[in-house]
Amino acid sequence: MNVVHAPLSPQSDSIHPAAVVSAVELNHISKSYDDFVAVADLSVSIRPGGIYGLLGPNGAGKSSTIRMIMGIIVPDSGHISVFGTPLNRAHMDQFGYLPEERGLYRKMKVLEHLVFLAQLKGLSHPEATKRAHYWCERFELSGWTEKKVEELSKGMQQKVQFIGAILHDPKLIVMDEPFSGLDPANAVGLKDVLLELAKKGKTILLSTHRMDQAERLCHSICLINHGRPVVEGDLNQIKAKYGQTHVQIKYDGDARFVHEPRLVQSFNDYGNYVEVRLAPGADAQELLKLAAASARISKFEIMEPSLEEIFIEAVGKTNA
Amino acid sequence: MRNTWLIIKREYLQRVRTRSFLALTVLAPAIMTVLMAAPAKFASMGQKPQHLVLVTSTQQFGEVVRQQLLANPMASEDEEGGDNASQKPEEQYIIDIDSSPTDAERATLQNKIGTRDIDGYVWLSDEAISTHTVTWSGREKADSRERSWLGEVLNRILFQQQLSKTGMAPNQAYLLLQPTKVDSVRIERGREVKSGGTGRFLEIIVMVMLIYVAVLLYGISVMRSVLEEKNSRIMEVLLSSASSTELMTGKLLGVGAVGLTQIVVWTLMAGVVALPSLAAQASFGELQISPLVMLSFVLFFLLGYLLYSTMYATIGAITTTEQEGQQVQFIIVIPLVLSVFMLMPVIRTPDSAAVVWMSLIPFFAPIVMFARIVVQPPPLWEIALSLLLLIGTVVGLTVLCARIYRIGVLIYGKRATLPEILKWLKYAKA
Repeated sequence: MNVVHAPLSPQSDSIHPAAVVSAVELNHISKSYDDFVAVADLSVSIRPGGIYGLLGPNGAGKSSTIRMIMGIIVPDSGHISVFGTPLNRAHMDQFGYLPEERGLYRKMKVLEHLVFLAQLKGLSHPEATKRAHYWCERFELSGWTEKKVEELSKGMQQKVQFIGAILHDPKLIVMDEPFSGLDPANAVGLKDVLLELAKKGKTILLSTHRMDQAERLCHSICLINHGRPVVEGDLNQIKAKYGQTHVQIKYDGDARFVHEPRLVQSFNDYGNYVEVRLAPGADAQELLKLAAASARISKFEIMEPSLEEIFIEAVGKTNA
Repeated sequence: MRNTWLIIKREYLQRVRTRSFLALTVLAPAIMTVLMAAPAKFASMGQKPQHLVLVTSTQQFGEVVRQQLLANPMASEDEEGGDNASQKPEEQYIIDIDSSPTDAERATLQNKIGTRDIDGYVWLSDEAISTHTVTWSGREKADSRERSWLGEVLNRILFQQQLSKTGMAPNQAYLLLQPTKVDSVRIERGREVKSGGTGRFLEIIVMVMLIYVAVLLYGISVMRSVLEEKNSRIMEVLLSSASSTELMTGKLLGVGAVGLTQIVVWTLMAGVVALPSLAAQASFGELQISPLVMLSFVLFFLLGYLLYSTMYATIGAITTTEQEGQQVQFIIVIPLVLSVFMLMPVIRTPDSAAVVWMSLIPFFAPIVMFARIVVQPPPLWEIALSLLLLIGTVVGLTVLCARIYRIGVLIYGKRATLPEILKWLKYAKA
């Protein structure tokens, strides 16, 4: 197994006072169903506040991980703590959960349904009603509160479900693929609310297979594949680390510098410019010097890879 | 506790508010009443008086027979005695007398039957009387009640005539020939109980079928709603707020409360509307329900419901579609049906070993023990033991099924196999 931890993460933790407790701490958790390993030895620490991305292709073990955090299933081994204490039933009221598989009681009225969900989380009836009205207004559902859920469009039902997950003002919000099935306008609305909640100090765990989304929203990510963590840590640091491996050089002259195995692992020459993947441990500055010796360099750029490229590269490594 | 209460409330309100609940609660007793009252009503309503001709050698003898026939109502079929069930003969028959017993007349009468001028004739010529062979001819064959009615009346007239010839006064002979009426009375705990036979039988059937149908109906309803929560995926949201035990018990109690509401409404309706009208019907007149029976009805209904619907909830959790659930549920229906089969033995021999044992086994107790209490109250300790075993089983089963439920409700796509379920039982310790 090849877990790539961002090199600076111990330092970044030290930026915050030591007193800061992780919102969620997964300690070597594993879960198997019969012969199928859903999650294998996953350790993650999510700091409070902001949006944390849990990424990976379909079937990677994201939903299993989330269900374990929500206490719906129990890990075979390892332990989970939330806000500094081992996961227990008392935490449930502080959780807001939007599962990947959406579901509401079809025959219930929207307002009634929201109030029921919030009451299960400990809210009083009047308080739940007040908040439900507020959020329905924000999501343009005001006219629908007395309608039955089955009368709503799928997108509207999804908004109702989202409101149900945040109505009780939870400290930890877990969203499993929250944007799937939403039209672009509603997706933007949802994103805005998520960012707003994150700014208020809520911890949001966002699970998605859309790397571009995570890239824009999350401060930290954990990439998992086949139940195993592949990359974990602060997004900028991960990118910084991976970014040093790719260089684009616009040149005029002899490109023989790419044949230096000490520095270059692989390359793709387009004639005017060449994309180089640095050998492990190679210094880009050294390559620049070498290149300048044989060719005229008009552009030398250390590229920031997209999460998608990082994922493909990291998965390629683990599969190798 | 709070969560369980919220779930009970939701289940209850969602169900009670539906139109189908209202329809079932109001319409079911109406349909029942119609179904039970209709046969008796039809029997009396559809009948117009039959036109009967008595063919006798003398007009005078014919008059005597007619008078006696009209004065003596037919015995009713059941054992309750004919005093309240039968109609008056003058409403049933129009009787004419024809005093020319010739072959030509017989042909004429047969023609009249064909043209529906008359419904039948009875050949009572002196010759027929003396050979004791009387024939009742009609479009329909006379049934045994009609035949014995006529036979008894004729015998009495003939006896009376014979006795008069020996010099006995006619009214003395009349008294002598009065039929003796045999009454029957049931003794329960040293007291006379009016209800017996038919009334008792109906009481048992109605109440036991009510338990049977309600347990089955609400059990299936529980299974359906578990499947709905599973298939609509709301289960996952619920599980992030409440434990599976809370979810299951909340649902069972909520649906059970709906059932109880329905039965209370039915009982009230029966008390207010149905009973007075039913009381007019003969066999219902003596139906009376003791407080012990009422109490045990509620107790055994509730416990029976809890026992069976726990299993239904579990089946909902381990299957994925309603069809699949229906296929598996026969395992549950078997003990219920067996209990109903035990009804006849319970009524005939309420003290037999088989009946006593069956009434103690929790899966049969709700019906068999209850039927025993209605038929002939068993010793209190037997009732107590049966209840205790039943409650113990309900509690044990709830704990066991909650474990299966907990995992089952998260498994989508395929039905769980038996080995899998056994593994869940071991796995889910909480």
